[in-house]
Amino acid sequence: MKEFFETWKFRILIAVAVFLAGLLLYAAANGRLTAAPQELLSVAAAPFQKAAAWVAGGVSSVWDKYTSIDDTIAENEALREENAELRRQLVEYDQLKAENEAFRNLAGIQEDHPEMSFVSAFVIGRDGMDAFGGFTLDQGTAHGVERGDTVIDDEGHLLGTVIEAGLTSCRVLTILHPSFNAAGVVSRTWDNGILTGDAAYAPEGQCVFTDLSRESMASVGDEIITTGLGGVYPPDILVGRIVSIEPEASGTSVVAVIQPDADVFGVKQAFIITDY
Amino acid sequence: MESRRKRRRSQLYKWGLYFLLLLACTVVQTLPGFLLIGQAKPVLLLPLALAVAVWEDEFSGALFGAVCGLMWDYAAGRTAGLLALTVMGLSFAVSVAGQLYLKLNTFNFALLAGGAVWLVLSGDFLFYYAMPGYSDMLGRYLAYIPLTVLMSGALAALLYRAAGWISQTFKIDNGVL
Repeated sequence: MKEFFETWKFRILIAVAVFLAGLLLYAAANGRLTAAPQELLSVAAAPFQKAAAWVAGGVSSVWDKYTSIDDTIAENEALREENAELRRQLVEYDQLKAENEAFRNLAGIQEDHPEMSFVSAFVIGRDGMDAFGGFTLDQGTAHGVERGDTVIDDEGHLLGTVIEAGLTSCRVLTILHPSFNAAGVVSRTWDNGILTGDAAYAPEGQCVFTDLSRESMASVGDEIITTGLGGVYPPDILVGRIVSIEPEASGTSVVAVIQPDADVFGVKQAFIITDY
Repeated sequence: MESRRKRRRSQLYKWGLYFLLLLACTVVQTLPGFLLIGQAKPVLLLPLALAVAVWEDEFSGALFGAVCGLMWDYAAGRTAGLLALTVMGLSFAVSVAGQLYLKLNTFNFALLAGGAVWLVLSGDFLFYYAMPGYSDMLGRYLAYIPLTVLMSGALAALLYRAAGWISQTFKIDNGVL
């Protein structure tokens, strides 16, 4: 073993370690998550992740239908083959239905916001390490997605922002993350505040609306929308409803706890706003 | 004794299968909702890197560990290189320890992989959750890490067997008994 440390193999390992450390420093210094070697890996993994996400959706759909006709299958052997074929067709049908639904929703959102350009995307990856519901979408720079694009669900509710865009996939920072910041307003009273995440509320899928004036007339049930101030997020995107209002630690303002209209932890399909 | 061409082809198949296993683990680890219990979800890329490091030598194991780590960086949204360096180091250490000190079997490996997962997740928790000062740290730690370690350890046994099968099937016959 002692000889190993004097071999060319050990020198190669040291070179790889130095390369990775350089990659880490480069990525950290430029505020980026990924670098070229990793983008190559993401291009290799994304199609498999996409296929697996489809199969997972299809299998659960088929299983529901299968259990209801199980008795019939047991009674009639001849129908088994036909059922197998039907099940295969059902998976295809469910996929087409989901796509159709997605495009219908897109048409609806497009009608409300004719100035915006959207890209439809499916969630293909979630990692348990992200406590704030961050996920990977199956669209990347090849489809016009860029870092900083706003992500909404299929009903037009805010989900988050693209934090990193690869060639065929992108990573989303959700509204539950404490690093997320967007200017928002209470739609009824027009009180301004900052929409952000909070670790205390993230497990329940909630975020917070901070810097709300103590004199604010906002109350439980009021809807929060984006203002578009700062030019990062488009205006008038629906966020969620106030579920409680609590005093801020310093006492100078109040914090509203928001239940987002979008299901951040369960969303399967999203739209990325590429232009507005 | 095998011909050089046959050996090269055998090595190509072996590392091709390892890479397919890497893609499969990435897909399963990131598949939305799959094997999700509360906040816990098993980690597969680290046990796979360790399994390959144990069945191969420390050099190949460390390099494969770096690739697994880069993939994990991508999947988990961590800064490129952070997990790659960690997994590479762990793969090297486990391979060396396996050759010099440990008598590894499936159960021992599951324990070892569980320990490594616990170590890496705790480090990640420290840097990405505790140090930024997010609230409810203990709640998140208890809800995520212990169950994730248990599930990862259990699945590591399968990965150990799979990597062992690949390694033995495509083992180079150099004629030495």
